[in-house]
Amino acid sequence: MSGPGVAWYLGISAFLFGTGALGVLVRRNPIIVLLSLEIMLNGGNLALIAFSRHAHNGAGQIFALAVMAVAASEVCVGLGLVVAIHRRRLALDVDRLSELRG
Amino acid sequence: MRNGAWICLFAPLVGTVLIVLGGTRISRRAAAWVSTISVFTAFGGALWAFFALRSSDARAGITYSAWTWLQSGGFKVGLSVLVDPLSTMMMLIVAGVGGLIVLYSIGYMDGDDEERRYFAYMSLFVFSMLLLVQGGNLLLLLAGWGLVGLSSYLLIGFWHERPSAVAAAKKAFVMNAIGDATMALAFFVLIFHSNSLEFGTSFDTAQHLSPLAVNLVALGLLGGAAAKSAQIPLHTWLPDAMEGPTPVSALIHAATMVTAGVYLIARTHPIFEQARTVELVAAGMGALTLLVAGLIALVQTDIKRVIAYSTMSQIGYMFLGAGVGAYANGMFHLMTHAFFKALLFMAAGLVIHALSGEQDIRKMRGIGVLMPWTRWAFLAGGLALVGLPPFSGFFSKDSIIAAALHDHWYGVVLAGAGLVGAFLTGLYTFRLYFIVFPGEPSAFAREHHHAHHGKEGPLTMLVPVGVLAVLAVIGGWIQFSPFWHPLTNWLAPVSATLAVAEPTNTQEAIASVLAVLLGLAGVGVAWAIYGRGEVAVPRLPAVQRTLEHKLYFDEAYDALFYRPAAAFAAWLRRDFEEPVILATGPDLGEGALELGQGASRLQTGLLRTYVLFLGTGLAIVGIVFLVVR
Repeated sequence: MSGPGVAWYLGISAFLFGTGALGVLVRRNPIIVLLSLEIMLNGGNLALIAFSRHAHNGAGQIFALAVMAVAASEVCVGLGLVVAIHRRRLALDVDRLSELRG
Repeated sequence: MRNGAWICLFAPLVGTVLIVLGGTRISRRAAAWVSTISVFTAFGGALWAFFALRSSDARAGITYSAWTWLQSGGFKVGLSVLVDPLSTMMMLIVAGVGGLIVLYSIGYMDGDDEERRYFAYMSLFVFSMLLLVQGGNLLLLLAGWGLVGLSSYLLIGFWHERPSAVAAAKKAFVMNAIGDATMALAFFVLIFHSNSLEFGTSFDTAQHLSPLAVNLVALGLLGGAAAKSAQIPLHTWLPDAMEGPTPVSALIHAATMVTAGVYLIARTHPIFEQARTVELVAAGMGALTLLVAGLIALVQTDIKRVIAYSTMSQIGYMFLGAGVGAYANGMFHLMTHAFFKALLFMAAGLVIHALSGEQDIRKMRGIGVLMPWTRWAFLAGGLALVGLPPFSGFFSKDSIIAAALHDHWYGVVLAGAGLVGAFLTGLYTFRLYFIVFPGEPSAFAREHHHAHHGKEGPLTMLVPVGVLAVLAVIGGWIQFSPFWHPLTNWLAPVSATLAVAEPTNTQEAIASVLAVLLGLAGVGVAWAIYGRGEVAVPRLPAVQRTLEHKLYFDEAYDALFYRPAAAFAAWLRRDFEEPVILATGPDLGEGALELGQGASRLQTGLLRTYVLFLGTGLAIVGIVFLVVR
């Protein structure tokens, strides 16, 4: 097997995941939050595929495909929510959308 | 044979399902005909099975299994039907008489608000009863047994806006549940010893059981039989069950369901023969019931209740016959009784129908003038009930008394009870007849009687009554011991009569002559007191009051079971419910409320708090993994 070792891939994966997590935590625009979530998921995907190649086992790639499908549907729902929020002329700010507070 | 049996079993169920699914989309009349046709289809299936069995070599019966119904370890029960002489005979009676009665119901229930429900229940009942008699093992028999109790409950309480009907239905259900429970206990003993509820295996097992076990099994079965067949001490529900519509009384509480106990004894006789004492107890129970019910019937004033007590009394005869070992005689009386008792109920139903629901015999005097055909039909049924030749009751009842006569001193006592019962039967039957039918119509009868287009009832009611009147007259001719006994021979492969219950010809003759004479005496006394009015009704206030209170059975059960239970419940409420449960309840509730409010503060509605919790949880799990590893 040629190319960089699995550790490099994991490093990039962790970097992507961390970036995404930071975005989710600090940004207040729901669209950006969704975007950050996508980055987190793709970080995870990268790790799955890296391990898949490392272990010569196709299962990880299938998982990655499943994650992509989940991510796509999640974006559908998320963007649908954003559109619904916008239609009601509410602020696009996750901190002010706290109706579920106990 | 197989197809006939399955058609017979499932046709009525199909009828029920059709009526239920049809709902209001089919007319009431259509629902009635669906039910009638389904039951007559069952009768066709029964005929098929009967003739196939007659011409086959397997006279002892064949069990057909559809599939394994339930399995638990080595214990296995199949969904199977048994076609043998005993079950085909019951199939013919249940589906045949049942079909006639459902047909009769079309006229009787015409105009009722809930006819569809009624006919769905009727078909369900016939299905349950057929399951009971056709079931290929004891568990299916018990399933049919329970379903029969359920449909009886539904039909007694059919007029559910009447509190008395609801109470009667409940009472019947509870009494029957006692019997179901003892039967289930008996089955547990059998399963414990043989791990099977197949008829053959159970009967073989009974041969090797300890006397205690086999007596317990027989007692449990007897408890079930007594409850279903309204024998003392579990009889109090039957008279109250007359709250149901009259065709229900004719079908369930005269012709079929209440005779299930007799069928059970005939079916499981190998077990009872191993516990001969219990079997003789059954005979004694029957003798006691036939006397007590005959006495109580003397003072009743409700036309249906008189016939109900007479039913109890006649089932007493059947128990007596089956108990001494003359199973075929018991079954023979079951058959003739189904004919003439259904006839009596339906003739009474014609009167009740024509008088707009009136059931008090004192108001009906002279109705025979207005309804001559009903009068003749009732007379035929009454004569068959008293057992005068050549009516059907003569052939079946006398052979039971003769069979009892053969069995030592105990048998003589039983036969004596049967003979006294014959006198009482004549007396109460013709008291009813003389009060209701002959003479000048009373003012009430004239005023309330309304003819149906110049007839005594709709055609759907008159045809079944006519058919049953013919059967009540000639139905007994198929067997005349000691000259010919095709029925005994037919049943011999499954329920052979015991040697001790084979009377000699002299005994047959003595029993017949005495029973007929005593029956005639009863009719004569009834005629003297009620027909001519020559002799005053004997005034014995104490006796009359006792009989009118049905020997205080209801009061005794009330004091023995109901009141202690009610007192216990009241004590529980006063000393446990109120101080303990009601006192701690609010505290518990408030505590839970506070806890919930505290927990709800964690729900901030802010995404980042949730992510924080998630991260914290993840970190804890990670640390735990690292540390524990």
